[in-house]
Amino acid sequence: MTTTRRDFLQLLGTAGIVSLGTIPPQFLTRAAQAAPGIAARDKRVLVLIQLAGGNDGLNTLVPYADPAYEKARPGIGISKGQVLKLNDSVGLHPSLTGMRELYDEGKVSIVQGIGYPNPDRSHFRSMDIWQSAQPLNENPRDGWLGRALEWQFDRQPALAEALSLGTDKLPLAFVSTRVNVPTLRRLEEFQLVDGQATVANRNLTRAAQRQLADKPSTSGSELDFLRRATTTALTSAERLKSLSASYRTTVSYPGTSLASKLKLIAQMLTADLPARVFVVSLDGFDTHSGQLPGHAALMAELSGAIRAFEQDLVEHKLSDRVLLATYSEFGRRVVENGSLGTDHGAASMLFAVTPSERSGLHGKYPSLTDLTDGDLKFNIDFRSVYATMLDKWLEIPSAGILGGEFSPIPIV
Amino acid sequence: MPNVAPPDGLLKPYDTTRDGAWTISEAAHLLGRSQFGCTPAELDQAVAGGLNDTVERLIVPQPESAEFRQAEEALRKTAFATGEIADLKIWWLYRMWATANPLAEKVALFWHNHFATSNDKVRSIPQMLAQNELIRAHGLGSFKSLLHGMSRDTAMLVWLDGNANRKRHPNENFAREIMELFALGVGNYIEKDIQEAARAFSGWHVREGAFWFNQLQHDESTKTVFGKSGNFDGAAIVDLCLSQPACPRFLGMKLLKTFVCPEPSIAMIDAVAVRIREHDYNMSPVLRELLSSQVFFDASCRRNVIKSPLDLVVGSLRSLAATVKWPPVSRLLANLGQDIFEPPSVKGWEGGRLWINSSSILLRTNFATELASGDQIATLRTAIVDMAGGASEAVAAQIERLLMGGAADAALHSEIAGHHHRVEGTALQKLRSTLQLVMSLPEYQLQ
Repeated sequence: MTTTRRDFLQLLGTAGIVSLGTIPPQFLTRAAQAAPGIAARDKRVLVLIQLAGGNDGLNTLVPYADPAYEKARPGIGISKGQVLKLNDSVGLHPSLTGMRELYDEGKVSIVQGIGYPNPDRSHFRSMDIWQSAQPLNENPRDGWLGRALEWQFDRQPALAEALSLGTDKLPLAFVSTRVNVPTLRRLEEFQLVDGQATVANRNLTRAAQRQLADKPSTSGSELDFLRRATTTALTSAERLKSLSASYRTTVSYPGTSLASKLKLIAQMLTADLPARVFVVSLDGFDTHSGQLPGHAALMAELSGAIRAFEQDLVEHKLSDRVLLATYSEFGRRVVENGSLGTDHGAASMLFAVTPSERSGLHGKYPSLTDLTDGDLKFNIDFRSVYATMLDKWLEIPSAGILGGEFSPIPIV
Repeated sequence: MPNVAPPDGLLKPYDTTRDGAWTISEAAHLLGRSQFGCTPAELDQAVAGGLNDTVERLIVPQPESAEFRQAEEALRKTAFATGEIADLKIWWLYRMWATANPLAEKVALFWHNHFATSNDKVRSIPQMLAQNELIRAHGLGSFKSLLHGMSRDTAMLVWLDGNANRKRHPNENFAREIMELFALGVGNYIEKDIQEAARAFSGWHVREGAFWFNQLQHDESTKTVFGKSGNFDGAAIVDLCLSQPACPRFLGMKLLKTFVCPEPSIAMIDAVAVRIREHDYNMSPVLRELLSSQVFFDASCRRNVIKSPLDLVVGSLRSLAATVKWPPVSRLLANLGQDIFEPPSVKGWEGGRLWINSSSILLRTNFATELASGDQIATLRTAIVDMAGGASEAVAAQIERLLMGGAADAALHSEIAGHHHRVEGTALQKLRSTLQLVMSLPEYQLQ
């Protein structure tokens, strides 16, 4: 038994739950497909994986043929014999076997030399920059996805839903002054306990809680923020209660944290939960010392989880709906440090897994010798990737959200 | 202590001589910000005693009861014996709940957040406790002593890779964080300052659980930081940071965000920075002025700080609980995103709206249900249970007085009293249900 969107709407209606906005007719109709193999606009989903700490792009996409690489990394360099070669000059970290398979299937685009002008090597500043898409704003209050969701909310509220999975706090990328994005760790977490009250009292209390939270909000005050957040939480709890019953798969996901989060996304897509954008975080990339084993484990976790997720999407005929990408706050320095690790750097690379059948490398691999202060120079502004995701995938105009025009990259 | 002129402008003392200047609302506001919740007795005492009396009682160390001292010692010894960080957490949570010096605990938490260090990497009860005791020793005292102490604190050195900072291969971690997070804030130094400062801290290591100056690994050449040159060591860097104009402003901004309002104006930050300099970084006089000031009691600074998990949970327990089971409380706090001794990163807990997401709202709501009606984490105080049996209006008013500083407007009060009237069951059940409702209100998440 699958729970369709129509069932959800009925669930919302019969339980008397406040809806998240008016449901326009487009919500229920099929729009023309953009291209074969790619889902209709209102079905497309963006999944972002944050590699928290600053992923070492040089050891992820390895310029194995460049002698400067071996010279810079006598202790922690990945050898020619170990890389999974993609061409004559670059190859993947040996733990990225799943990613390599997806590349061979034509599903992986790799964007090289990605960064922004005047890179900041503070985790927090640089992550804020990637999440706000506002390199010049020292105190960003909202994120690029938050702004995109607001744009969407003003036109089609039903398409303006998103979820952050497994993060302790809502990533800045999602923060907006008006749209509230729920976060979730496990489905079971998302339920109200019954306590010791009688059924009658429980219903009275729940109704009173909803009523006292759902007061009109206009002033942007902390109280208004809390009211909206409470209403969103109570609504989401009701919806997600019915999800766990309906999902089945033959794919064997690895037992890692990232895999379980991607599996949760697959479950939600299967049950047609309206969320359009998901963010999950994989932590541990701040490899200042003893980088090799930790980084290898993270690469394995990333690769295994994405591979299983993509297989699951294919099995459930959902792969045309999903664009998945990684991002990280900065790369790391070219030369290894004295603790067999690397310090904060600048430009790096990212992976995108898309339904378009064209794997490839985009941008240029930065030079290892023409550096800025010991760091790689970027040649693609990260906002071009965002512009691509917004304009080409979600069909939300990017210029207003990113504060300018950024040329898209042909990854989808 | 040199004679310091009293503050003027935003920080001039709040005038309580006017009619209606010192009511339950002001008393609850002061206690809510400077403590974790308040007991019924504390609230009554604050209303009766007035502003100055209450502030003095908060700032000046009060004697702890024999019961507290015994329990605190037993819990501390347990943590040492087991070596489990879970036990050290319970030790501190107990202190926050039972102490006669709640401001000192709140300030200790402020510094723990400021110098956020996680046992996840440190892996040592004695070292985490030593850092906590360093904070207690100087928390309401000199920030200068605290910052110097932190640069040599073993937990901090382990946390920020002190031992990897060597003469030929400097490790920038501590140098970056002392500038970015502990003393100056982003934008008030350049990368070169960090690189040079890292060399000054080289050789500041830990050996056998204690600070060790590893001379051989210390870079003795000239460094240039903030435009000044010299053969600086770590202590010199700390002093240089303290003398930067950005330092008192950074500290002022953090104090204001924690105790006064989530988005302090430049004028407020400047005013507090001036007082921090005047008092030579002594926290007691600064806090005394801040908590008694005009701006602190201004309408724009009331009920606009979102309660942290500790404010909500420990605060509610202080108001309502006679006995507490700490292990589930500790787990709840971790799930709510505030796991003491294990902050998510060296940036600590940013707080404010970031405490709030659907997951945490549901947990907060479930906590309200459990505390009001359950027996898994606490039993209710007699003074609370005694409220049962009153008329709905009276019960609602008493709950609002204790839990909301009397802040419910007429409409909300009427809804709360109405709920008490409608729910079925014994007087105690009706009371519990009303407590649950009030604690799940968006209003209750604010102080």
